[in-house]
Amino acid sequence: MTASLLTDAPGRCMKCGFCMSNCPVYGIDPIESHVARGRNMLILQKQAGTLPPGKAYVQSLSHCLLCGRCRAVCPAKVSSPEITVAARAAVVRQQGVSWSQALVFRGILKHRHLMAHLAGIAARLPGLGSKQGTPLRHMADMTAVVSAGIAIPRLSRPFLADRLKSIRKPPDPSATRGRVVFFAGCGFEFFFSGMGQAMVEILTRSGFEVVYPQSQGCCGIAAYNAGDVKTARKMASANLSAFTDCDAIVTGCATCGTALKHYGHWLPQGNGLRAAAESLAGKVWDFSHFVHHHGFPGQPRRKRPLKVTYHDPCHLRWHQGIIEPPRRLLAGLQDIDYVEMDGADACCGLAGSFAITHQETSRAIQAKKMAAIARTKADVVVTSCPGCIVQLMDGAQRHHVPVKVMHIGQMLNKFEAGANHGE
Amino acid sequence: MSLSKEVIQALAEITGKDGMRVDPVDMSVYAYDATTRWRGMPEAVVFPTQVDQISAIMALANAHIIPVTVRGAGTSLSGGPVPTAGGIVMCMTRMNRILNIDTDNFTVTAEVGVVLNDLNMALAKHNLFFPPDPQSFLAATLGGCLSEGAGGPYAVKYGLFKHYILGMTVVLASGDILKLGGNTMKNVTGYDLPQLLCGAEGTLAVIADATFRLLVAPQAKQTVMAIFDDVTQAGKAVHRVRSAGVLPAKIEMIDNWVIRRIEEHTPLGLPLSAAAILLFQMDGMAPAVEKETDQVIELCRKTGAAEVRPAKDATEAQNFWTARSFGFSAVFGSAPTLISEDVVVPTSRIADLIQCIKALERTHDLTIVLLGHAGDGNLHPCILTDMDDADHYERAQMASNAIFDAALAFGGAISGEHGIGLEKQQILKKAMPAQGIDLLKQIKRAFDPKGILNPGKIWEAS
Repeated sequence: MTASLLTDAPGRCMKCGFCMSNCPVYGIDPIESHVARGRNMLILQKQAGTLPPGKAYVQSLSHCLLCGRCRAVCPAKVSSPEITVAARAAVVRQQGVSWSQALVFRGILKHRHLMAHLAGIAARLPGLGSKQGTPLRHMADMTAVVSAGIAIPRLSRPFLADRLKSIRKPPDPSATRGRVVFFAGCGFEFFFSGMGQAMVEILTRSGFEVVYPQSQGCCGIAAYNAGDVKTARKMASANLSAFTDCDAIVTGCATCGTALKHYGHWLPQGNGLRAAAESLAGKVWDFSHFVHHHGFPGQPRRKRPLKVTYHDPCHLRWHQGIIEPPRRLLAGLQDIDYVEMDGADACCGLAGSFAITHQETSRAIQAKKMAAIARTKADVVVTSCPGCIVQLMDGAQRHHVPVKVMHIGQMLNKFEAGANHGE
Repeated sequence: MSLSKEVIQALAEITGKDGMRVDPVDMSVYAYDATTRWRGMPEAVVFPTQVDQISAIMALANAHIIPVTVRGAGTSLSGGPVPTAGGIVMCMTRMNRILNIDTDNFTVTAEVGVVLNDLNMALAKHNLFFPPDPQSFLAATLGGCLSEGAGGPYAVKYGLFKHYILGMTVVLASGDILKLGGNTMKNVTGYDLPQLLCGAEGTLAVIADATFRLLVAPQAKQTVMAIFDDVTQAGKAVHRVRSAGVLPAKIEMIDNWVIRRIEEHTPLGLPLSAAAILLFQMDGMAPAVEKETDQVIELCRKTGAAEVRPAKDATEAQNFWTARSFGFSAVFGSAPTLISEDVVVPTSRIADLIQCIKALERTHDLTIVLLGHAGDGNLHPCILTDMDDADHYERAQMASNAIFDAALAFGGAISGEHGIGLEKQQILKKAMPAQGIDLLKQIKRAFDPKGILNPGKIWEAS
């Protein structure tokens, strides 16, 4: 984390205020400390030592989804999400990590077996293991979930690691097109393992040998975004060591994909793995991008024509620039009536722990999203991020929107009524 | 001066706990606008959601003689909403409801915190058109636009905010709520008070909502780009088109500096040697647009344009206009301090003004980027400088003053659409006779006897 990210970068803000026009948080309540312009001004003053003391600084830093939408409209191309993360890291360096974050990031996420165990216990707590199976958000939020009043998802049985052999060959091994590593991420490992399996099946049927390194772990982005760089680096290093020789690393999680592509920036100069991380970035593909690029055989088995809409995960659209591939994949399916929703590019409001720390704002953003989905009258809303899937499922239930939420891999692989829990 | 506990308590009772802030960190983000150099810390920020709350806040502030600075999105380019007197910032962003779109009578009534772009999106669904288009439209609020006298490229044909205002609900400094004007196309009922509040920079009263007249969206549009080897010649072409009786909706100008930045970032294949580009947009009924387009092309060629390109389709037109918007951002991102002027002259003198600015650029050894609305005689010469470099900044200020002098000498004005605020108070004395400034002060006293509304703006404190 360089000083220039905290001084030069926000200093380029010309205060035009355009970020106000598409910030989902500012859109809910137009308060200047909740939008990139205001936050950048505070960060600049903090660095210059001219900021008056007050709790509002840390509150302002936390009041950001890191969705990246502001960067798209910023004439000076100020990278406000990166600046915000750097500023959070500076606070962590000064004040340390809060106990709850320490528990989650340093304990649970680094030790996924423990995480799975805890998740199992949580799912058995009365009132938490939702009968409707409304699933959990990000694993990182596990410990806070009770206070947030969000129904815990039904755990996948078995987890993805137990469903997959380490290596899966394509049906016709002689026509193998390449070797890909599948990176599951916590969402597809523990909660949506059926979706993870669907993606692996499509990849193998498309002619790819799929390697599933058993030692892969959490991508670490939740820790990184909260400013706990130390823990995030350890997670990145562990994953970098887990990846074997391959042509591509494919993930179905927009958030994990963003993390994997940015590992090079996370690691300090001089770290032995930094070069590996940088060369890895070019091999990382989002599932939809990879499948669209390489093509896949077959059509989904469906009983009737479907009206389908698509929600852009922020980490796919704003952080990786992947906009068209998932839409083209969907539009290319037979008997699909594809309809674009208003504000498909707007955050669903989950944003990791934001949904817990800023529950009211998160719910208001979710309500806008659900209203836009409802207006399309779509049967299915497809997306490419387990976090978004959780938030959309929760929203569909909360707002009584009769829409099925599916990962794009699941959509491509098959469609079965009632199959929206990854099981 | 600092607010007493009682006052803070009373404010919280009016707006609710959620409707006000006093944390010093929160005050810092209401201390600026979009200018580079002006700052002023408020002591409390309130977010009213109802006109009754505005009224109660004003009555309280008036009783205790506390300064109140009304703020929209803070995108002003004059320092207008910077609370240099401290006190209360009244932030109107939560007053953001569109109250009525009257499709029978072509009017809209909206609260002042509505963002201009949001209004335009809502009107587009009814094929209605509200032309004034300050380039901060993505963020700027209606109240800010009204109070700063805003306009934009469409001013050539369609005018400014003040040309669309029919009526408003205002709150006086005393806290009294008043309806001014109405919702009819014509209205001569004594002094035109809504007009007086346009461009008053929040010094006379607090506007709560406003009613504007609307137009039907034009059927057809055509964009033409004309490339010139000589920037003065471009200025002449603007006047030649205007004096020939052709009335484009917009005529925008960008100079060589901007052309180079565009080609560096989003290449459009513009010749790097070009000194200036004019962008025209004709709109209206299709046959008229076609005819006007032909005339503009011919007139530009006759005035020595090196190349004239009509946009092939809507996408290309959009690219041309994106390039124009990019010019604005390229300038803003390119210097630690920017002196962005807003001078306006009769179109017959644009070429003279341009020539004068180019000469100042040379004699003071500065970069002065020329871009602006040209078609209505309004240019935004931008002087790239750095406040921390004393010598450079002094030269920049000398050039800035000389530009004002030139604009006045050519029969123009020191601000077309940004207002005086803090930025141009010294120059006001040159632009307006002392008796005129005294009249402003008397009007101010009539509205706001205790001087609590946005004190310290427009004229210099005496």
